Amino acid sequence: MTSEGDTFKTLWPKRHQLSHQDADIYQLFNIKKYHGRQLAVNIESLTISQASITGLIGPNGSGKSSLLRLLAFVDSPSEGNILFKGRKAAPYDDSVRFQVSLLPQEPYLLKRSVFDNIAYGLVLRGVNRSRHAEAVVDALSLVGLSAEEFAGRSWYQLSGGEAQRVALAARLVLQPSVLLLDEPTASVDAASAQQIKASALRASIKWGTTLIVASHDWQWVHEICNRVIPMFNGKVMENGRGNILLGPWRLEAEGYWEKVLADGQVIRVSEPFSCAAAAVIPHDSIFLSLDKPRLNPHEHSLHGILTLLAFDPSTGSIQATIRIADLSFTLRIPTNHAQKMLLFPGQKVYITYPVSAVLWY
Amino acid sequence: MDYILNGLFQAIQLMIHGDAETYSAVAATLKVSTGSMIASILIGIPAGFLLGHHDFPGKKPVRTLVDTLMSLPTVLIGLLVYALLTHHGPLGHLGLLFTLEGVAIGQTLLALPVVIALTATSIESMDEKLRITLISLGADRKQVVLSTLWEARYGILAASMNAYGRVMTEVGIAMMVGGNIKWHTRTITTAIALETSKGQFVSGIALGLILMAIAAMVNISLSFLRNRS
Repeated sequence: MTSEGDTFKTLWPKRHQLSHQDADIYQLFNIKKYHGRQLAVNIESLTISQASITGLIGPNGSGKSSLLRLLAFVDSPSEGNILFKGRKAAPYDDSVRFQVSLLPQEPYLLKRSVFDNIAYGLVLRGVNRSRHAEAVVDALSLVGLSAEEFAGRSWYQLSGGEAQRVALAARLVLQPSVLLLDEPTASVDAASAQQIKASALRASIKWGTTLIVASHDWQWVHEICNRVIPMFNGKVMENGRGNILLGPWRLEAEGYWEKVLADGQVIRVSEPFSCAAAAVIPHDSIFLSLDKPRLNPHEHSLHGILTLLAFDPSTGSIQATIRIADLSFTLRIPTNHAQKMLLFPGQKVYITYPVSAVLWY
Repeated sequence: MDYILNGLFQAIQLMIHGDAETYSAVAATLKVSTGSMIASILIGIPAGFLLGHHDFPGKKPVRTLVDTLMSLPTVLIGLLVYALLTHHGPLGHLGLLFTLEGVAIGQTLLALPVVIALTATSIESMDEKLRITLISLGADRKQVVLSTLWEARYGILAASMNAYGRVMTEVGIAMMVGGNIKWHTRTITTAIALETSKGQFVSGIALGLILMAIAAMVNISLSFLRNRS
């Protein structure tokens, strides 16, 4: 895990000249993608910033993989255009072919050795063969595999986690501008998952690679991502609109729809259209208090720990993040309220919301 | 039982002593089978790829037709090619009737459906993830096609072996189109048919063993190649 940087630098000298952090690398307008008759992706507008880390979250079948395949220019949208670095791009275009790489959830390794799998992209890019060995060794070490042990192995001599790491190494060796990861840790062992997460993050830090990650690992996504985009039924949620709560929801004896959290508290919601539907509690429907609130009949309350207070320049308010069991809630408080309440991270707080404010996707 | 053992013994003798007539039949067999295999691979693999990889209107009927042609009787192909190449036929002016080239054309028609259908099957069975992976690593259209063929190489090899088996062992086309002319178009299989009809079981068995030895050698070399790759 020591020498990976040097070879990459010599192989790809230009990649380090990153353009502005804020430039949009992707711009999507009115994108629709049908699988047969089913509308898998339906996005009015979405932009992704260069060198950012974006998380896509949402239940299975919400369109995350389909969106990643569009962003990877593996599939074309049925309607609409995707702009890459400001220019319209399509699969096989020279402007994207060597820039974007997707790691599918279940990796496919070519029927050749690990070495040849990792060197495949280098061959396509016309990198001199004499430089392959060093680059492959570096890429393998970046994903925590020893070249002596693995480079000579055949594709069938790997465990699931090792295969996923080799597949990631085959992408990292290319230093792509954009790396798209589809559930990269869903079907691998814990050690491999840890290594994959670390390697992806290193790529972002070292080379300014734009990362887009679809994952069910909420904690990881919230930890590393600059931005988390929830997806439901092929749509992306408007940015920062509310707190997303995934089902399953159960109808309790009293006639309430609820979900029990890891700490035993329950989230109460209005009646969902399906048990697996995703609920959204808008930021501005949540009230924060330090004392246990007196509830009206149609309100519900939860307690948690205030973990973060941040000034949001776009609204001029304070954004508070509250951890409740394994969930993170954010809400906005006017600056003067926050001052009056003497809020500080680590406090036990209560949030209250009207059950009728819950929106469904 | 004796004549079987005699056949084995005589086969070894024929091979060792270099019997000119036997070698002529072996050479004719190798020439036509090699020629027809090269032609059917050159045409069949691209056609099989197109059939397996692309969706087009009428794909299903085409697929059914190719599958049906796989079991086309060799005498029927022999009849068809004979009718085409005979003096009065549409290709009669080429003078290919009773030549090894004529036999090779017939055997190409025999091998082609096998190569096309089995190549299409092995391409169809390739994972969708392969395409995603190849594009994700930067392959252009041509490289996607070539790498997909390479990934399907074992299936394609099996398709070719299957076709080769049919070509090597067929007798109908060689007999009807080639005419079983000694020193000229007599192949191992037509020679066996002739020897058997003459009651010469021993030479027939000897030739049969030689045919099997050739098939075994081809198979062993291909499996050696496969293991190396």
